Amino acid sequence: MSLLDRLEHAGDALTWRGDMPTEGRYTAGIAGERFFRAIKDEGRFLAAVCLECDITYMPPRLYCEECFAHLEDWIEVEPIGHVHTFTVVHHDLDEQPLPEPRIMAFVALDETDGGLVHYLDEVDPEDVYLGMPVEPVLKDPSERKGSITDIRYFRPVMGSSG
Amino acid sequence: MEAFVYDTIYLRRDDFEDRTILFETWDPNAQYAWDAGVAIGRYLQGLKAGHIIGRSCPECSRVLVPPRMFCESCFCATDRWVTLEDTGTVVTFSRCYVTWDMVQLKDPLMPAVIAIDGASPGMGIMHMLGEVEPAALQIGMRVRAVWKPPEERSGAITDIVYFKPVETPDQGRED
Repeated sequence: MSLLDRLEHAGDALTWRGDMPTEGRYTAGIAGERFFRAIKDEGRFLAAVCLECDITYMPPRLYCEECFAHLEDWIEVEPIGHVHTFTVVHHDLDEQPLPEPRIMAFVALDETDGGLVHYLDEVDPEDVYLGMPVEPVLKDPSERKGSITDIRYFRPVMGSSG
Repeated sequence: MEAFVYDTIYLRRDDFEDRTILFETWDPNAQYAWDAGVAIGRYLQGLKAGHIIGRSCPECSRVLVPPRMFCESCFCATDRWVTLEDTGTVVTFSRCYVTWDMVQLKDPLMPAVIAIDGASPGMGIMHMLGEVEPAALQIGMRVRAVWKPPEERSGAITDIVYFKPVETPDQGRED
C-alpha cells in the first residue's frame, strides 16, 4: 500500500482506544460560599450591591464589574423572578436522550440586576412564555449541600397563570 | 474607591475531604479513539503476528522502525515493508521509581530505547527491559523481545512484554 492508497473498508483502519481519567473540581469561591451557604442554612437569597453604580449582583460578586470596587454591601432579596429566556433540552451532555425533556431558563430575579440559570418545572413547555413570573422550589434543609441544586427548580408563581 | 485585597487562601486536600468548602465535581467523559494510520496500523498488526515490521526508503535505503509512510530525510514516500529481527541493542535506558501517576515503586521500571536488528543504525523503539537486575543495565546491551502468547496478543506494543538480555558467551548476565 502506498501513501495515497485508500482503505476500502473502514474496519481496516486501526484505531487505538483509550480513556483519560479526569476529575474536575469547581470551588464556589468567597462570594459563592456566602451565597450558597445562605441558601443551604437559611433558605435565603443574598445579592451584592454596588452603591456607586447602583447595581445589584445576582449571583453576588466580590467586585463590581463596572467600577471594580470591593462589594461589602450584601442584601437579602426575594427569590421571585421572571423567565428572561428559556429552552427545552432533550439530550444530556453526552448526547444521550433524556427520559423526558427538561426546560432550562435564565430566571431574572426581580429585585436584582442578574439572575440564575435553572430548571423550570410544574409547567408544560408550551405554556412557558417570556416574562412568566416564577419562584424557586428548594430541597428540604436536610438534603441541601450548598449547591445550585439545593434549588430543585423554578415554577410559575401560584395564582399567576399565562 | 478603597483598594481591597483578600489574604491569599490556599486550598488544601483537607478542605475538600472534610468538605469545609463548597465545591462541585464532575467526571468528563474523556474516551478517545486515535487513528493509528497506515504505517502504525500495519506495525501493530505485525506485532499481533509476532513480527516487528519496518519500512524502507527507495532514496536512502534506510529501514525505518516504527514504520512511516514517508522518509523524513528524503521527503519521499517509503515503498517497502521489511520484517525485522526481534533482537536489538540498548541505546539508552532509565531506572524509573515512580509510575506515571506518581506512585512510588520499590522495584524500578526500566524503560529503554532499543535499536532493532535489521533496521538502520540508531532506529529503535521505546520499550521496557525485564529479567535483568536494574544495576546490571548497560548501554550496548544485547536484548531480545519476550512476546505474549499469540492468543493474548491484541495488536498493541504491549504484545511484547519486555526485552530481556540475550545470553552471549562474551556478555553474560553476571557482568
